[in-house]
Amino acid sequence: MFVARSIAADHKDLIHDVSYDFHGRRMATCSSDQSVKVWDKSESGEWHCTASWKTHSGSVWRVTWAHPEFGQVLASCSFDRTAAVWEEIVGESNDKQRGQSHWIKRTTLVDSRTSVTDVKFAPKHMGLMLTTCSADGVVRVYEAPDVMNLSQWSLQHEISCKLSCSCISWNPSSSRAHPPMIAVGSDDSNVMYGGKVQIYEYNDNTRKYAKAETLMTVTDAVHDIAFSPNLGRSFHVLAIATKDVRIFKLVPLRKESSSTGPTKFEVQIVAQFDNHNSQVWRVSWNITSTLLASSGDDGCVRLWKANYMDNWKCTGILKGDGSPVNGSSGQPGAMNTMVGSAVQTSQNEALPSVGRPELATDCLTALPSLGLTDTAALTPPPPSLPGPD
Amino acid sequence: MEKMSRVTTALGSSAISGRTMFCHLDAPANAISVCRDATQVVVAGRNIFKIYGLEEEQFVEKLNLRVGRKPSLNFSCADVMWHQMEENLLATAATNGAVVTWNLGKPSRNKQDQLFTEHKRTVNKVCFHPTEVYMLLSGSQDGYMKCFDLRKKESVSTFSGQSESVRDVQFSMKDYFTFAASFENGNVQLWDIRRPDRYERMFTAHTGPVFCCDWHPDDRGWLATGGRDKMVKVWDMTTNRAKEIYCVQTIASVARVKWRPERKWHLATCSMMVDHNIYVWDIRRPFIPFATFEEHKDVTTGIVWRHQHDPYFLLSGSKDSTLYQHMFKDASRPVDRANPEGLCFGLFGDLAFAAKESLISGDANRKPYPGGDRRYPIFFFKKPDLTEQFAHVSSALSVFESSLESKRMDWFVKTARLYLLSGKSFAELCDHNAKVAKELNRPQVSTTWTMLRIMFSDPANLSTPGPNHIGKLGTLPLMNSFSMKEMGMGTESRLDRSKGESRQDNIHLELGNSLINNICPTAENEETEGSEGQAEYMFGDAELDDDDLYSMEHDNQAAEEQEYTLPQEAFPLRHEIMDNPLAPEHLQQDKADSPQASGNEAEVMCLTPIESFSLISISQPLFSPHLPAPFFCPVVREMLSHYAEQGDVQMAVSVLIVLGDRIRKEIDDLTQEHWYMSYIDLLQRFELWNVSNEVIKLSTCSAITCLNQTSTTLHVNCSNCKRPMSNRGWICDRCHQCASVCAVCHHVVKGLFVWCQGCSHGGHLEHVKNWLKSSSHCPAGCGHLCEYT
Repeated sequence: MFVARSIAADHKDLIHDVSYDFHGRRMATCSSDQSVKVWDKSESGEWHCTASWKTHSGSVWRVTWAHPEFGQVLASCSFDRTAAVWEEIVGESNDKQRGQSHWIKRTTLVDSRTSVTDVKFAPKHMGLMLTTCSADGVVRVYEAPDVMNLSQWSLQHEISCKLSCSCISWNPSSSRAHPPMIAVGSDDSNVMYGGKVQIYEYNDNTRKYAKAETLMTVTDAVHDIAFSPNLGRSFHVLAIATKDVRIFKLVPLRKESSSTGPTKFEVQIVAQFDNHNSQVWRVSWNITSTLLASSGDDGCVRLWKANYMDNWKCTGILKGDGSPVNGSSGQPGAMNTMVGSAVQTSQNEALPSVGRPELATDCLTALPSLGLTDTAALTPPPPSLPGPD
Repeated sequence: MEKMSRVTTALGSSAISGRTMFCHLDAPANAISVCRDATQVVVAGRNIFKIYGLEEEQFVEKLNLRVGRKPSLNFSCADVMWHQMEENLLATAATNGAVVTWNLGKPSRNKQDQLFTEHKRTVNKVCFHPTEVYMLLSGSQDGYMKCFDLRKKESVSTFSGQSESVRDVQFSMKDYFTFAASFENGNVQLWDIRRPDRYERMFTAHTGPVFCCDWHPDDRGWLATGGRDKMVKVWDMTTNRAKEIYCVQTIASVARVKWRPERKWHLATCSMMVDHNIYVWDIRRPFIPFATFEEHKDVTTGIVWRHQHDPYFLLSGSKDSTLYQHMFKDASRPVDRANPEGLCFGLFGDLAFAAKESLISGDANRKPYPGGDRRYPIFFFKKPDLTEQFAHVSSALSVFESSLESKRMDWFVKTARLYLLSGKSFAELCDHNAKVAKELNRPQVSTTWTMLRIMFSDPANLSTPGPNHIGKLGTLPLMNSFSMKEMGMGTESRLDRSKGESRQDNIHLELGNSLINNICPTAENEETEGSEGQAEYMFGDAELDDDDLYSMEHDNQAAEEQEYTLPQEAFPLRHEIMDNPLAPEHLQQDKADSPQASGNEAEVMCLTPIESFSLISISQPLFSPHLPAPFFCPVVREMLSHYAEQGDVQMAVSVLIVLGDRIRKEIDDLTQEHWYMSYIDLLQRFELWNVSNEVIKLSTCSAITCLNQTSTTLHVNCSNCKRPMSNRGWICDRCHQCASVCAVCHHVVKGLFVWCQGCSHGGHLEHVKNWLKSSSHCPAGCGHLCEYT
């Protein structure tokens, strides 16, 4: 069950992004009103705005948290062609008493000539690195060589993607077997330009990022992209928000130790859902990467979950204001559309659960993955038994 | 009188048509202006002064006003204005301080009419009176504004702003005698044309220069100003004090601002630096440009709406030497690309969601963006145009929290806390962890632990085999060979029982157990492949060929059961095994998954030779071989990988640690390290620092253990003499006192020691905590205001 807790955000224009911190106790929102707000969760579970300040002179598209090891650090990016790094300052007992915290700008990254559409910190094991992408199709990787000095960032890489970029995602895997990898999505709406998702991988020999893969099947504008938390997997899972929700699996093919080129991947499309029936704007994974949430122009959040066969299905629909989800929103009738709530699963989230066959077939157009792992292949398929009632 | 201009230039029936087009100029443009009937445009710059005709498809050069072999500096224009009533009259502001008027009606090639050289420095702006034919106003870098009567040879009046350079002068649309001037020091002044001695009113509009101002064409006394502070402000001048009513924040200094005709709330801006785009803003939504024209490659220097009653055509000149006509329908709309939603999963499975309010409140609201409401009044609109609507919008933010009893990540935290990874014997660890998993309702994990214990327990450790153990623990016996047989028996007896029950039961079980085990089937198959006889006891049913599995019919069930009675009765431990439903269930699940008959078949197959053998081996204490632990390693490796691929890295790492050397060599270091890193990262997310540290300590990967070696240097000051302690130990070598004395109880602190970094005093954590409740001063009495964070 989900309980919707409405928060008076008091932003003066659209909110474009919301982001939890590493520990899930803080939240940052950014808006077209050029401000960022930081929300802290109290003991009672209430969210309180503890900071609100003007960050840019244009719409703020995205806000993201750095790993807490580097301090309480936020990065934001904006229509004003800059990205900025912010740090929370401890002290100022006056502020503390009022329950307000103080954030100061550590740096402004001004390399882009166009709107900076996304900003992401690299996984912690790579050090303090920041990536931006901009509407002119350039992905920039910055590094702070001294993690104690957040005001010095050097531009390490400039990757030209040719297409207007809208979103980036780092592969979070910390395995040494997986070189640093960035997926870039483009919101260019011209389907003629081919694949809108490109995957770049760092090559240790050339010390450059090289294109490893283009997902040619994604030809519509992509608005969000997210690697799932890796958690010790040998493969990568990528969720894409385009005109529908798609989940891709990238299985690195064993490569010859002598070869120096980028890793080859076996790319499988694991699922594809058009239930939103409209533009999908956001995708987000839960921490165990067992649940995917997506939101679209229909104003609904949909939750997707895989069973042990890697069959993905919808497990819940959440309406933003808690009102009932009406049937007209492009919903197959057979689905367990609990209003404002998600279907409760057992608490062992990390484990796959048996898909109830009649639901599984009804509400998804998931394609069974072609290459199952050994263990999965040994798992007998669920019997075609009549439903429980 | 004030309405006159509009009447005379009314659009009438002849609508303007055209397309987005451009032409190359010979030189960068500084300013442009259109003639009254919107058919011609004049472009002026340092090296250009031309008139272009606006045709349907293209610009056509009509006239080059820059004549003569060596044109004088009078042709170097900073600004140009075409008179809106007198078609042949133009005025330019020259960079040498001259104000020049041009008469297109002159027969000669040189159209220069009058020349006023009264300003000392560059003239930034010239402006004709909107209704008075002969009145011209200029504003100059020298800080003066001058009013010219074109019938006279010199200025009729001079206005001294007394502040700084004049950047812009504009006659009011509303008031015949009023004009506004903007200055480089941030001020805006209002003047009465009849009173050159003193301004009527002055206010500070911007920080830094005010580059431009523009009166609202709808004569409502609104003045828009733009400055280097990147802002456009709209002032209501009808009140006694100029009141800021709207403020638009742009991304670069504002060089020009022009109200959009026929749209009360729209204005166009361009910048003089960095930004080459032209933006059209709806001042009620001051954060996102309503429309953008992105054609220019260099700074846009002049913008003008083609016709003062047509909102769809905008002309612009630029430093990139192009002249553009922009069609409004070709403009890009930044808001279309703007994301109306934000979504993020929290650590505890809560979901933060922000969405445009109209998306979530309006049902079936899937209109193309921008949708918006239709409430606001629309001026001059014949019919509402959807694409022209740009109402103020806001987002709703909500957090979906997974309700308390089902906190979605609780199982992880609890498991991490409760698992024992070291400090006890292997079997006990497994038992404990199995119990933990079971209590958290994770039967699969629990079973895995049990299986592990069975597989890897060292039989030598267990002197009391069989029944006692079972009785005591209520779980399976620990001994290798024994347990295997019992598992086998348990399976069979269990199978047997469930077969006796209805089929419904099977279904129920299967659904209830939802997907129990992928591991065990794996294990079984592995087992049979490499077995040397022993495994057959345990997995008697699994050794068949697939062909056999599918060959049997259900009808055989009853018959088969009878044959079963013997081994069941012969085996005394049946009920104890039954008490632990976990192991049998998953085997049975496996059965349920494959065709029902297979189980029976298995038993038939097993029974004749093997089952009897098993009986013998139990009844005889002589049984010797137990499977060596390494035998299971491939299975376990598979299993761990499976858990990892499923995202349960916790299980993989826990098993890895508990099994230790038994399995370590089977898994390559890179993978192990990856698992450890992932698990530690996860633990740290949940702030399970102790568990995370334990995992680091117990890990055998060098890359992991070294995590604990970073930042371990501690610099200590003696609490007595406040000097750095050099040697090891807690006796200060300078004052020869024990340095680690609690300032509260004066005993030596062993264990947790907390001290103030300011004065080096400290003591027992508890004592200091209590002390600080009553006082903020240092407990040692040094007077320092200690701060412990």
